[in-house]
Amino acid sequence: MTRALPTSTLSHRARGSGLEQWVERHLRILMLAPAMLVLLALTIFPSAYMFVAAVTRISPNPDLPWEFAGLQNFTRLLTDQQFHIGLRNTLVFTVSSVTIEFLLGLGLALLLDRYVRKLNVLKTLLMLPMMLPPVAVAITWKLIYEPQFGILNELMFNLGLPPQAWAGDARLAMLSLIIADVWQWTPFMFLLMLAGLASLPIEPYEAAAIDGASAWRQFRDLTLPFLKPVIAIALLLRIMDALRLFDLVFILTGGGPADRTKTLSLYIYQVAYRFADQSYAAAISLFVLFATVAFSTWFIKRMRLAE
Amino acid sequence: MVRRPFLAMAFALWSLAAIHPAWADITVLVPSGSEGDGLRAAAADYAKLKGTKVEIVQAPYNNVFEQAANAGQTKSGAFDIVLMDDPWIPFFAENGHLEDLTPYFQKAGKDGPDDDFLSKSLALCRNPYNSGPYICLPYVGNAQMFFYDAAKFKEAGIEEPKTWDDVLKAAKALTDKGGGRYFGYVFRGGQGNPVVADFMPLFWSYGANLFNEDRSKVTIDTPEGAQAMKMFMALRDVSPKGVESYNANEVGQALAAGTAASSINWPNWVATFEDPTQSRMVGKISYTGIPAGTNPGSSEIGHWTMGIMAAAKNKQEAFDFMQWATSPEQIKVSAERGNPPVRTSTFTDPDLTKQEKFRHYPVLMKAIQASTPRPRHPKWPEIENAFGIELSKAVAGAETPEEALKNAQAAVEKIAGTK
Repeated sequence: MTRALPTSTLSHRARGSGLEQWVERHLRILMLAPAMLVLLALTIFPSAYMFVAAVTRISPNPDLPWEFAGLQNFTRLLTDQQFHIGLRNTLVFTVSSVTIEFLLGLGLALLLDRYVRKLNVLKTLLMLPMMLPPVAVAITWKLIYEPQFGILNELMFNLGLPPQAWAGDARLAMLSLIIADVWQWTPFMFLLMLAGLASLPIEPYEAAAIDGASAWRQFRDLTLPFLKPVIAIALLLRIMDALRLFDLVFILTGGGPADRTKTLSLYIYQVAYRFADQSYAAAISLFVLFATVAFSTWFIKRMRLAE
Repeated sequence: MVRRPFLAMAFALWSLAAIHPAWADITVLVPSGSEGDGLRAAAADYAKLKGTKVEIVQAPYNNVFEQAANAGQTKSGAFDIVLMDDPWIPFFAENGHLEDLTPYFQKAGKDGPDDDFLSKSLALCRNPYNSGPYICLPYVGNAQMFFYDAAKFKEAGIEEPKTWDDVLKAAKALTDKGGGRYFGYVFRGGQGNPVVADFMPLFWSYGANLFNEDRSKVTIDTPEGAQAMKMFMALRDVSPKGVESYNANEVGQALAAGTAASSINWPNWVATFEDPTQSRMVGKISYTGIPAGTNPGSSEIGHWTMGIMAAAKNKQEAFDFMQWATSPEQIKVSAERGNPPVRTSTFTDPDLTKQEKFRHYPVLMKAIQASTPRPRHPKWPEIENAFGIELSKAVAGAETPEEALKNAQAAVEKIAGTK
């Protein structure tokens, strides 16, 4: 049984206060507003600021006016040796680490998918490095590589092998970075490949087996073509991420020794915050942005992902 | 029903964020580590004593520079005081980020800081160096000293290392005997600030310098520079493998663990070496001045100084706090908390000097008075980076010492615009 409300209360509820009615009418906009403001503040404004900064000369002295610099900051890229070193190191790191991660990830996924399908604990363990924050990974590897007290050299010493400087050795520093990155991100490749393998249809494999196709033939002519979209997405995501490498190199090597591990992200950070040259840092950032967008577009077309 | 509490909560959170700066009367940006911890403790004392709320914002070394530069460039007024490493002073001062302290001293009826401060400490706080108006006050009296295991050096035939040749002789003997597990010398070889900081005392000890007197000419690639580099490479050869990536922690650990016999180091490490929970070398490490080369040895000075940001909101209160924190009484308290002092009265205070943990004070005071500042150049961070890259290449064997000097000369000339 429901009790009737007094007439005065009903009319008050129906009218409400002016503010309440306004809020009711604009509720959708009000609810969207915080997200839009965040988007504006964190994405649109910084992007616009970066474009303006790249064609301007900004002094660290706030009393000096900004000066229009045209393309000067971009032409500087052509002669800046530090930028060239950063670009070369970034490319070496990206190509090497992503290739190794892909091959290992695919290999592990094939192995686990076929032979150890039920070992969920093993799958979880393999995914652990990916769940760690990059800073924790970098500190862990710094301790492992530590020449005097690190576990790696202790092992080498006990095996009668000469200890190495690892991240401190100009010849081994890039390799040390790649190993740490491979350790962390192979599980990502593995996870995507495993998901891809799990979604493959069984029928073509049964038909191929009846026709006497070898395991290698099945892998080459069935598995790889079926997995192509997954492989392409995994490679694209990892390449874009590797091109931005910062935290690992910042903690592990600081770009040294002898500039052998200086990446573009680290250089941008130094230019912007250590040398207080925001304009040039913006120009390098824009170069990286355009290069990444151009590569991604070409890659998506090449792999026919849009289809 | 849910909307009203939701909107009320959002409004409350926004209000809290908006009034946050009002919680503190003055905000101070300080580095992580003993220097920042000391000022944090002082701020708590000041709040109890004077009722002024001092908010301490603590950040890692590099971030302090970045945050202060950002606040200065945007005139945000986020910080009233910044605890600065002294080589940053020209950047902040010449870009108008720091307040001239002259009117504040005048208002307090003084000409400037009192002469109990060490003269070298005060010279840093004037811009231009030692001649312009005061733009900061010294707080932590860092200058490098030479740390060594006296017993091991004695074994190697050196009582007290007076010259770099002495150091090399002892270090070589100890490393040869160490079988890859013990080393006679260790240094910060990491690219950038670390390798530059540990090379500069050698550079000066052989009569070299980065610039000539009026900063119009870069003077890295000189016969004096080559001599310093030759000694640096010889010392590298008796240092642990991987020294190319060493920073202060690795060097400190090697000395504290007793796997290296000597290094150039900063006085704030003394507390670690004398702490039995962190060191195997308690009471075994001796301290002396920087050894001589062809010239007398000279430490790199690395004071932490307090300056008021030009866009600070509470400048007078900030000045009052700085005056209080750098008073003789408070510098003594700061010394007891582990930060090297900047005042003669503290260095010679019998209450402190009779304590074992302050036995390095006479050496440190001399080291400060015989120290050299890093070149006072507004582009010092960029110059240090460029010089540090070439030194790192030489240490890593990626370039010959001659090539490193030549390339460093060219790189610094380009940055400084002297060619």
